[in-house]
Amino acid sequence: MDLELKGRPLVSGIKSGTALVSKKPLSFLGGVDPETGLVTEKNHDLLGKSIKDVVFCFPHGHGSTVGSYVLYSLAKKNVGPKAIVNETADPVVVVGAVIADVPMVDKIDISQIRTGDTVEVDGGKGTVKILERKKACT
Amino acid sequence: MHLTAEEEKIYEGEQGWAYQTAMKILVKLGDLFDAEKLIPIESAHVSGVSYKTLGDAPIEFLESLAETGAKAKVASTVNPSGLDYEGIMRSAVPETVKEKQEKIVELYKNMGLKPVLTCTPYYASKPKQGSHLAWAESSAVVYANSVLGSWTNREGGPSALASALIGKTPNHGLHKPENREPNVLVKVETDLKNEVWYGALGIFLGKNLMDKVPVIEGLRYPKEADLKQLSAALASSGMTSVFYPCSRCPKKAENLERLAVDGQILKKAFEDLSTCSEEPDMVFVGCPHCSLNEVRNVARLVQGRKVKENVMFWVCSSRHVKAKAARHIQTIEAAGGKVVSDICAVVTWLKELGVDTLMTNSAKTAFYAPTMNKVKVRLATLKQCVETACHK
Repeated sequence: MDLELKGRPLVSGIKSGTALVSKKPLSFLGGVDPETGLVTEKNHDLLGKSIKDVVFCFPHGHGSTVGSYVLYSLAKKNVGPKAIVNETADPVVVVGAVIADVPMVDKIDISQIRTGDTVEVDGGKGTVKILERKKACT
Repeated sequence: MHLTAEEEKIYEGEQGWAYQTAMKILVKLGDLFDAEKLIPIESAHVSGVSYKTLGDAPIEFLESLAETGAKAKVASTVNPSGLDYEGIMRSAVPETVKEKQEKIVELYKNMGLKPVLTCTPYYASKPKQGSHLAWAESSAVVYANSVLGSWTNREGGPSALASALIGKTPNHGLHKPENREPNVLVKVETDLKNEVWYGALGIFLGKNLMDKVPVIEGLRYPKEADLKQLSAALASSGMTSVFYPCSRCPKKAENLERLAVDGQILKKAFEDLSTCSEEPDMVFVGCPHCSLNEVRNVARLVQGRKVKENVMFWVCSSRHVKAKAARHIQTIEAAGGKVVSDICAVVTWLKELGVDTLMTNSAKTAFYAPTMNKVKVRLATLKQCVETACHK
């Protein structure tokens, strides 16, 4: 059974992939290595994880507006996320998603999504579909 | 958001990728903040120039925009860079860094933005009262809204650039009169002696007001430089983007929520901004960039004195102001100081100059330099700055 979460459409495009979920806001400037897509923000729950090709779910961005350019740079180098899902979008990430052409949705309860789930984001409709739950380890 | 037929065409890409991308940025931000339309702006001021703060990330994007031949549609200016044209910084950084910094400035120039390389564009060209702007330098945003009476949101580098290319901004936030109404009364219960105390007040208020709009009562005859320091500091520690200074509380503010600031609170805010008490390697005045009046004040204070051999004494200003200050510059340089344009201490490579300890009269610099430049700071009045920099 597919679970569909309805949010606000921000940047259009349909992409599916594996979800990477964080509980913490992220600054793209200084928080993500623009060469590799690895999270470098100190004390972040995703420190050392790669955001390459994932559906990146986090509450919202923070920090410098240069962060938008970092998202563009990640996309150009093919180490950026496939799609972005936020709880409350902020201007830095929205502008970044626009210029990097990454589908984006906000107003989503991201606690419904787990890291490892296969999800589909429709940025034009504002929906996130959970196609497959990550299998429990037990 | 409602778009005109012409805006719609740009959004669909009729004028090419750069204008389309700029329009998309503005429309998406408009959607995010529930703006109903775009409104024309008088000018744009773009941040995101110093290679030290930017790194490589934006270069490719700026290149792609500039390649299309897209040009700014309104008067547009840019923030300070990491390098100055007179070359104080040039020997301190490697060739590749210089090339990248010059490239960034060149790309903005190619898009028709004026490389004024200053955080105080209003000294060269003062926006009209009541005009709508899309400015990104936060100290200039608060100053424009509160001192000049212009209307601007606190833009980011990319959104200000998009506004420069389109000549418009989404109508939300501080472009709407209802969002500029004061909603808190700050009572300053102590005498603010000079610009540093205004800066300390700004840092304290920024931390405590969130994004509220304050009437600030108890400011007796503030000078232009005082309000500039207050603006820059407010923007550094918080989200407040407009304030109303007054000596006595206006009637309509009497019933607002109140916040009292006494001498003790302010003294603590001031002291907390210093991270050391050592002798500084550099004494830095000019954040935000000095006005002609401030350059003149520095010249008066250093007249006939000598800067210590082991201290760099920098006065940062814009080329525009420097062009009018020849006599004062002569006085400052005769004393051993430097009047520098295009850069400021915070956005350049201080460590590479050998600076570990910085003294400044700017609360904004004191707030940022320990993290952005990894230096220790001492906040002091302009007079103390000069006393410390010069031989007795």
